Amino acid sequence: MANVDRIKRQLLRDLVQQNVDLIHGRAPRRRRRGSPWRLMVRLASLTFLSVALFGSSRLISTLGEPRAAGAAATPGAPGPSSAGKAAAAPQADRPPLAPPDPVDAAVFPLAVRKIAIDAGHGGGSTGTRTPDGLMEKDITLDIAQRLQRVLLGQSFQVMMTRQGDGDLSLEQRGNLANKAGADIFVSIHVNWIENRRSRGVETYYLGPTDDPYLTRLAHSENRDSGYSLADMRHLLDRIYAGVRQDKSRRLAETVQGALFQSLGKLSPEVENRGVKAAPFIVLLSTEMPAILTEVSSFSNEEEARLLTKPLYRQYIAEALAKGIHAYAGVVEGAPEAAAAAEKGI
Amino acid sequence: MSEKKQVLHVGIDLGTSRSSISSSNGQRHVVESYVGWPLDMVARKVLKKEVLIGREALENRSMLDLHRPLEEGLIKDGSEKDEAAVRELLWHLLSLVGVDRESRNGVKVRAVVGVPAEALRVNKQQVRKALHDAVDSLMIVSEPFAVAYGLEALLHTMIIDIGAGTTDFCVMNGRLPAEEDQRTLTQAGDFIDEQLMRLTRERHPEAKFSIHMVRNWKEEGSFVGQPKNPVVVTAPVNGRPTQLDITQEMRQACESILPPLVESMLDLLSRVQPEYQEKVRGNVVLSGGTGLIRGLGPRLEQELTAVGGGKVRVVKDPIFVGSDGGLAIAADAPDTDWEKLSA
Repeated sequence: MANVDRIKRQLLRDLVQQNVDLIHGRAPRRRRRGSPWRLMVRLASLTFLSVALFGSSRLISTLGEPRAAGAAATPGAPGPSSAGKAAAAPQADRPPLAPPDPVDAAVFPLAVRKIAIDAGHGGGSTGTRTPDGLMEKDITLDIAQRLQRVLLGQSFQVMMTRQGDGDLSLEQRGNLANKAGADIFVSIHVNWIENRRSRGVETYYLGPTDDPYLTRLAHSENRDSGYSLADMRHLLDRIYAGVRQDKSRRLAETVQGALFQSLGKLSPEVENRGVKAAPFIVLLSTEMPAILTEVSSFSNEEEARLLTKPLYRQYIAEALAKGIHAYAGVVEGAPEAAAAAEKGI
Repeated sequence: MSEKKQVLHVGIDLGTSRSSISSSNGQRHVVESYVGWPLDMVARKVLKKEVLIGREALENRSMLDLHRPLEEGLIKDGSEKDEAAVRELLWHLLSLVGVDRESRNGVKVRAVVGVPAEALRVNKQQVRKALHDAVDSLMIVSEPFAVAYGLEALLHTMIIDIGAGTTDFCVMNGRLPAEEDQRTLTQAGDFIDEQLMRLTRERHPEAKFSIHMVRNWKEEGSFVGQPKNPVVVTAPVNGRPTQLDITQEMRQACESILPPLVESMLDLLSRVQPEYQEKVRGNVVLSGGTGLIRGLGPRLEQELTAVGGGKVRVVKDPIFVGSDGGLAIAADAPDTDWEKLSA
């Protein structure tokens, strides 16, 4: 009995604290299991961040040094004490430099602060729809707005490409995100899969594809692009390689992992259709890591039913937030968060 | 009169389907969680009320803008009308235990309000905003926690609270349940109603019935496993009241929630620390209106045999177990804590 009273007192203390936090708008205090390990990971992350930043500043100064070193090696050139002057010499006097080796993006652990959320379709572009008249544009907007609320609660900044049922070209969506200086771009869609028994989630990043299914899907999603063929060719050349694509793939893997893990828990029939590369124009027009995620499929009767339920849409939004949060953890030097999300832990 | 005598503690269970109140003045009441506003001037003249609550709202639904504000365990986002509906529901419950809306009869009302776990997790600020004006001090708790507190099932216990909108799982291990100790499924009473509606329509396409009739049929005759008696209901066919045997449909609809229910129960159990798993298996508590489905407790016990066996107990008074738990919390919380929670 004394034990029950003691537990009750402790529970009441915690409960009151939880409610006081709620009144003051403070985030709930989370208990952590195995906290010493987590603390070590955090310290390691901070150390990594310091080393990386220190290393990058060393890298920048090292990039300036070959000129002086080259000048010093030239017969008759001034000694080390004159290095500053040599570095300031006109460009024409310098020997040509070899192109720098590609730099691993992990060297620059830039923080993810601002998320651009794009609710797919809108206005006259309804997207897919169910026989009952439920439209993709409405579902994507609802999920996007839920995601916005969740992310704001996690102290991210959020920009929405649309908040209402307006027409917006794919190019405009990318431009809005670019103008806002977003760090990542997440476009939300609902799929239509030919095999109507299939209940799958899949996530795309920008890249070429030979898959006829993906080509058809990209054609369908690109219908309202606002780009000319010449624009597209130019953009494709600009974007198909490089760090941004790697980051986009990483973001896609992390979000897909979180999405499948969360929805798979609710319905074991949900299949992981994986991360794929495809030429979606909405991804092409952005200047930051960008993904397009098909969070559900209208073609499946059960998914279409579930999508009418606010709670299911909330789960999807929270799963997306979990993936974004995990990706932000990676960029900020906490790879274990993303690894956990990908593995579905 | 001392300050202490002027305090009224209440525990409120704000459910998707039904809401109940238990008060320190000994009164307990339950209403169906429907709130409706007359659709137009004509409806207002007929109904002679600005707002209708509970059964009265349901019975006059054709003339009302009817809301069930905690559909699927959540206050609908951005819906001021649903927030207003929650407020009206709360005021109505308080009036049933003798609290006047304007003067509050000079008493200090301290309320513990239990809401579906999902509402607490997802839109707790909205819940607080909707409720805080009605009382002097307010504490919001998750429904399964209120149930556990009321039953003093605080250690090595699993609460499975099957309501209308959601099924909430909560493992109690002597501390406030964290996210990993809880689960929520959308397969609950409303899901069964939808299944029963569909199956009955398929079997008896000529019969006319509404979801409200189906809900009543379920409350009368729900079961899993073997039926005690055939489930026979009455519905109009070509305008004539006709008896329909829906025994198979009832079984199929009720058993449709079993796979996710069993899977979540076993999954949550597997995450309990190994040395306590047996204790928790022996202390599974089934609460909520839908938890009363005949044969559900034994069926879950049968599923537990696969992991070493266990005991499932169905609460005796599922209508008031949540609000009684809230009242117990309200009464146990010291005055100093209540001062911090002034609304």
